[in-house]
Amino acid sequence: MSNSRKGVKLFYDVISPYSWLAFEVLCRYRNVWNIDLTLKPAYLTGVIYGSGNQPAGANPSKLMYMVSDLKLTSEYFGVPMFRPSSISEKDSLNAMRFVTAIAEKGKDGDTLERVSRELWKRKWRTQQDITQPASLTDAGLKAGLSANEVEEILTLSKSQPIKDKLKSVTEEALEYRCFGFPFIVCNVNGKAKVFFGSDRFELMAYFFGEKWVGPQPDKPTVQM
Amino acid sequence: MSSSRKVVELFYDVVSPYSWLAFEVLCRYRNVWNIDLKFKPAYLGGVMHESGNRPPGMVPNKFHYMTTDLKRLSDYFGVHLSPPSNVFEAMFEKGTLNAMRFVTAVAEKEKGGDMLVERVSRELWKRIWSTDQDITQPASLTEAGLKAGLSANEVEAILTLSKSQPIKDKLKSVTQEALEHKCFGFPFIVCYVNGKPEVFFGSDRFELMAHCIGEKWVGPQPANPRAKM
Repeated sequence: MSNSRKGVKLFYDVISPYSWLAFEVLCRYRNVWNIDLTLKPAYLTGVIYGSGNQPAGANPSKLMYMVSDLKLTSEYFGVPMFRPSSISEKDSLNAMRFVTAIAEKGKDGDTLERVSRELWKRKWRTQQDITQPASLTDAGLKAGLSANEVEEILTLSKSQPIKDKLKSVTEEALEYRCFGFPFIVCNVNGKAKVFFGSDRFELMAYFFGEKWVGPQPDKPTVQM
Repeated sequence: MSSSRKVVELFYDVVSPYSWLAFEVLCRYRNVWNIDLKFKPAYLGGVMHESGNRPPGMVPNKFHYMTTDLKRLSDYFGVHLSPPSNVFEAMFEKGTLNAMRFVTAVAEKEKGGDMLVERVSRELWKRIWSTDQDITQPASLTEAGLKAGLSANEVEAILTLSKSQPIKDKLKSVTQEALEHKCFGFPFIVCYVNGKPEVFFGSDRFELMAHCIGEKWVGPQPANPRAKM
């Protein structure tokens, strides 16, 4: 097993359920694979329209597939989730600005991870709003921020520098020819290898020279 | 272990490189897993049109991703994939209607098994997705048929059959069957688990599919599992 740390960037948006799956897997494998994981909160709608793609949910057959696929996949990954009755593309702009503000404030690495997770849980497990300040406050508090800190982040999230920062990370994803999330950029021997989706970890392991044992390394389902 | 085989249907079109990957994996696993593999040659153009989807290659960033992705998957899956020199011409201008009617005719004619369907499908994939050759002309289909082990007479009979109304209808009806499962692209795999269909799209869901049908996934080359690090 290789000892050098491997750089992995995860471009994600909390509106994307498959991003949640990829996020949890990377968090779990962080120490198993010796990964230097950089979370890149970005804006999915920006990537979709910037690449000339269409939201997957816009196609009725794809939408139906995603509903049944997420049921199976989320169970297999050990990340329970339930599709909300309504999803709007613009749902996540405020949320991702909030997450970006947290990233920019340079809080300890865990906070960004915890807040992202709380937002995913709101949208994809308890089917709650993530657009209103009260919703973001709730997620921030649940992630361990104080009321003062949350208020500060909320204010910061509406500032031009943060709006610009979210735009620039989204642009960064597009520079890698991204067309959807989750989008994972791995540094393998100095070269960037990109992976789209939450179903390419086996292949990623192959390039890293690591073992993939399924989405829950403490409960192996495959031996690769 | 259950003694009754689980039915696994593979809807595919030789225009689709990811379908080739899924096809080879299922062929390799048909004697490893307790499955009853059924080939369902269908028409991707019809599926795209009816489901309102667009070929992924139409989005430049997707096309770019797929080009790199297919190269590395070719190596990982051990399938010699090499894009045609003019991908758009091969996939969208020339298309695969004749080829899939040919495969459908082989399937209709073949009694007791699907070895010929398997071989002919593979020869067609090799032509378009490995050696950059035509698969629209009768001479091309003839060559593929001969390479697959059909005699010259058999090939001629199948060519004639492939232009008949019943075969055109059969291809349409298998395509319709895919659409009834809400298919929007290929490869599209339908597994029957306790009589209930579970659908899997793409060539990267075998790990999940194995979990659903109670089997073990050891990678795309079960005869050559990855060396332990």
